Amino acid sequence: MAVDRRGFLKFVAGATTGVLATPVPWKLLDDASIWTQNWSWIPRNVDGENSYISTISKLCPSAAGMKIRLVGNRPVRALPDDNHPLSMGGITALAAAEVQLMYSPSRVKRPLKHSGDGAYVAISWEEAEKILKENLRRAGSKIAYVSGDETGTINELLSGMAKESGSEDFYVMPSEVQPAARAFAAMNGNGQLGYDIENSDYVLALGANILESWGTVLRNRAAFKQSHPAAEKPTVKYVYAGPVQSNTAAGADEWLPAKSGTEAIVALGIANLLIKAGASVNAPDFAEFKALAAQFTPQKVASLTGVTPAKLKAIAVELSKAERPLVLTGSEFGQGTGVATVLAGTAVNMLLGSFGREGGVKALPLAPKVIASGMDRSEIADKDLVAYLSRISAGKVPAPRAMVFYEANPVYGLPQPAAMAKVMDKVPFKVAFTSFLDETAQACDLILPTPLGLERFDDVETPYGIGQAFYALARPVAPCAVDGKPAADVLLNVASQLNMDLGFATYEEVLQAKAEAAGADWDSLMEGEFFTSDAVAEQSGLRLGAAVMGKALAAAPKAAKLSIAPVQKLNIGTPNTAIPPYNNKTIRRWELQKNEMYVAMNGATARELGVVKHDRIKLTNSSGSIQARVNIFEGVMPNTIAVLMGFGHTAFDEFSKGKGENVMELLTVGYEAGTGQSVWNVAGVNVSKA
Amino acid sequence: MEERLLHPADGNSTSRQFGGAAPFFVGLVVALIFGWWAFPGMLFSEQEQPINFSHKVHIQDAEMECSACHYFREDGTFAGLPTTESCAECHSDEPLGEDPEEARFIKEYVETGKEVKWHVYQKQPDNVFFSHAAHSLESCNNCHDFSEVELCSQCHIDVANMDKAPTYYENKLTTYSKQTMKMWQCERCHAHPEHYGVTRSSNACFVCHK
Amino acid sequence: METKEFTIKWGMAIDLDKCTGCGACMVACQAENNLAPIADASNKIKVMNWITVYELSNGKPYPEHDVAYLPRPCQQCGHPPCVSVCPVIATDKNEEGGIVSQVTPRCIGCRYCMAACPYHARYFNWRDPVWPGGLEKALTPDVSVRPRGVVEKCTFCHHRWMAAKDKAIVEGRDPMDLPEGEYVTSCTEACPNGAITFGDLNNEEHEVAKLASSKYAHRLLERLGADTQVYYVSRREWVLRQLDNYLEDEKVKG
Repeated sequence: MAVDRRGFLKFVAGATTGVLATPVPWKLLDDASIWTQNWSWIPRNVDGENSYISTISKLCPSAAGMKIRLVGNRPVRALPDDNHPLSMGGITALAAAEVQLMYSPSRVKRPLKHSGDGAYVAISWEEAEKILKENLRRAGSKIAYVSGDETGTINELLSGMAKESGSEDFYVMPSEVQPAARAFAAMNGNGQLGYDIENSDYVLALGANILESWGTVLRNRAAFKQSHPAAEKPTVKYVYAGPVQSNTAAGADEWLPAKSGTEAIVALGIANLLIKAGASVNAPDFAEFKALAAQFTPQKVASLTGVTPAKLKAIAVELSKAERPLVLTGSEFGQGTGVATVLAGTAVNMLLGSFGREGGVKALPLAPKVIASGMDRSEIADKDLVAYLSRISAGKVPAPRAMVFYEANPVYGLPQPAAMAKVMDKVPFKVAFTSFLDETAQACDLILPTPLGLERFDDVETPYGIGQAFYALARPVAPCAVDGKPAADVLLNVASQLNMDLGFATYEEVLQAKAEAAGADWDSLMEGEFFTSDAVAEQSGLRLGAAVMGKALAAAPKAAKLSIAPVQKLNIGTPNTAIPPYNNKTIRRWELQKNEMYVAMNGATARELGVVKHDRIKLTNSSGSIQARVNIFEGVMPNTIAVLMGFGHTAFDEFSKGKGENVMELLTVGYEAGTGQSVWNVAGVNVSKA
Repeated sequence: MEERLLHPADGNSTSRQFGGAAPFFVGLVVALIFGWWAFPGMLFSEQEQPINFSHKVHIQDAEMECSACHYFREDGTFAGLPTTESCAECHSDEPLGEDPEEARFIKEYVETGKEVKWHVYQKQPDNVFFSHAAHSLESCNNCHDFSEVELCSQCHIDVANMDKAPTYYENKLTTYSKQTMKMWQCERCHAHPEHYGVTRSSNACFVCHK
Repeated sequence: METKEFTIKWGMAIDLDKCTGCGACMVACQAENNLAPIADASNKIKVMNWITVYELSNGKPYPEHDVAYLPRPCQQCGHPPCVSVCPVIATDKNEEGGIVSQVTPRCIGCRYCMAACPYHARYFNWRDPVWPGGLEKALTPDVSVRPRGVVEKCTFCHHRWMAAKDKAIVEGRDPMDLPEGEYVTSCTEACPNGAITFGDLNNEEHEVAKLASSKYAHRLLERLGADTQVYYVSRREWVLRQLDNYLEDEKVKG
């Protein structure tokens, strides 16, 4: 039978009826809808057993204690650790994204060599170590080491290598640590200043951004949490003095507007009032200090700092009425402050009887160094990186033949980075041990990937700001996600090949020795425990450092007509991390739009400058210039422009590169009279429409 | 042809009409055969487990409990399948039996530390949260009288007495297993009003979805 | 519309006097709930943040200026405006605990719910999520990954409740009577200032229930009547005023 058209149509009709009575259309429809739920490019959930490893952050400047959650053997989250003194149930915006940073697109994946034409060439570790060894040998004593770690024993190793090769040039990136250590040394003190914030009943933060970036932040914030029960009157008053109503000011019970870099003057103004009210200190130079403080009358303080006499008096009265008051000093952006600032703050604490008292200032003992040829913390604090680089720049000292950067990013993170970059050009061989391809690494001849703190053994000893002696280990929670090697292992290996005697064959032995020196039990440290001690360092013949303060303040730079106030926020990252991928959503709308940053000023200042919100302006001074748009924020002092730190990266990845500009361009380095400490907490600026 | 179209009711009309119905039924039967018999074969690909795992050997010969491998972890999650590491607690250096599959398991997985990519017959999509803890004997036996095997077999294939792991059928379109329960199957209990109040089950979206 | 009643009503009280706007909650939320990072996050309309921290100002010029920060998760309304407009029941409020569910595979992306939500708590996936550089290795197994074309929102870390219940069952405890603190959201846990209190609003023992009844506790746009499960606490009158639209001479309770 031939199939004609009608027959065919009947067949189709029958088949259609039949198919409808089978699962085909219904199953296909259902399956097709399920098919659309699982595109191949959408990652799937990967299950596994949960486990938690306690460790401490080497990435967050607050040395955050944390628990890492693993699923199977995969770390997925950095969580707060209720029992850790440096977490106390909280985590910073930076540490919260630490696991994710293991997979950051800007990680250095393998050793790289910068070839002549500027391209990176991947090389083996064997070749990298050979290049490193030969260049260190060639450089001999003309070598400098720069570390970006404030709390690790790696600094003893790096400084030991410098000294073994006959060089004194080991430096740590500048922070609050150096001025504090030098101040306490000038007081004839022994140990490290510690602050018992949790037992205080009145906290005055002069410039110190204690609820955002100063010291061991999570501990500060836990103390704030305890003393500020929800919906109730706070039990402890927090006062923040600074030029900008920052995050710390937002939490504090009172914001005391005070110009950038005038913390010491505010402190001396308070000291003057306290002394008038009968306070005194049993110190050999008290008379000298009294005379110095007497110069800072409320009127003079008001003209220099912007703090009205009435406010100053009120604060002085509140401080003297409190039982366990505490004064904390620093710079609102965590660096560039002078020795005098810490001295003045400590003097007020002593006048209040808060030195050595519960809820006051303590002298914390530091563990002795374990690498004999290395430098200890006080020696290191005396080494001023910015001053050293400036001297090279000015031709006063020759540039070294080689520079080793350990997890430090001076090309981005130091004041006047353009000038710092020029110094780099004079150094024939530069090597960067770094986890991320940062600005400094880009300027180096050899780039060696280091595992992150989550991928290696490392240690944290008594970070600045904490109120008790502390020691803990960072432990690897997962294998290194890239072809990295711990810098300590590489350097120990190279050191032994260069016949340097550091006394240790492996870094684990160094850490074991350090733990023992600190009085900690190695086995419990390895289980994620931490060591704390309430012991205090004995003092004798403690001075106020009046002479040092006097010299410094006599020559203090006058505030410019229009000044900038850099603002530090941990969520925008550090020079070492840049803006982590998960953090750029936390940048506020009028802080950054596309690649343009905003700077903030109050309405009156804007009117005076003839600008309105969103105007493009150019900020210029003798150091450099940056371009930005205007945001009006009434929480900024008059004639002050608040500029966020952390923008303007020229390296890293799409999450930070090219976003805004670097405020460090505008910071001018000066030297504190008397101490010679480099300072950059006062910067004038001119504004023009762009 | 033209004539037929012009005069449809000619002498051959009856037989033509009968012959005309045949293609319809042919089509119907072909479609039914295709739809019920050929189509499932086309939709699912047959796959064997990467290693033939004999539950029978483990339960009858080695006298292991189901919970030796399928147990609740301390945090309440259910360890569905054991890791290579836990298998290696017994199967390490030398094979314990004669089965060449065991020797292959030791060579390919234990010695390399690789995980076996088992095909899971009931693997649910990512957007489903299934709590083994909530579907407990204690809860179901408020009314039912399930044995452990009966309860587990409500969803899972009863493999306890199988020497050879059943063939795994993967849906080529969705990539899920043929035995993966669909939502209506969950709802046989979850949407059953008699379950409310007696168990904690409800038919709310977030009871099962994530 | 009548409010569904539940034995347990998970709620939050956020102390706006303790929040300093640091952003830890936002980062913790993204990592916990598998949100993808984005290179240009400055276009806030297209950026996905289940919890967003807004800046509040008292509007006064320097030196009288005051600032506050307001973290805004999904408010888990008692009668959610988003639920009634969803044509496919992809979002619902029908489970014990009172968390408004969102089943993304069911969502057809019509975005009616986004228009209905008075709190801008819902986000649309304009693009497929991308985790560059192997970042997807750090995804959690707790929350399914959403493709483009669907709406998503904060779920009060519902998966953490499921996990806490499973733990209770295995330990032989009543999963509907969890001790306070056994289930908290990721943002609550992360906040170093303790600004967020999480718990059962129906349980008088829970801190959050006490805070919710404080005279300083208000809800966002309370007079819309959405009956939200998130309370904001502040001892500053100007902050409370900004939580709803008040006439100039109108008094705020508290």
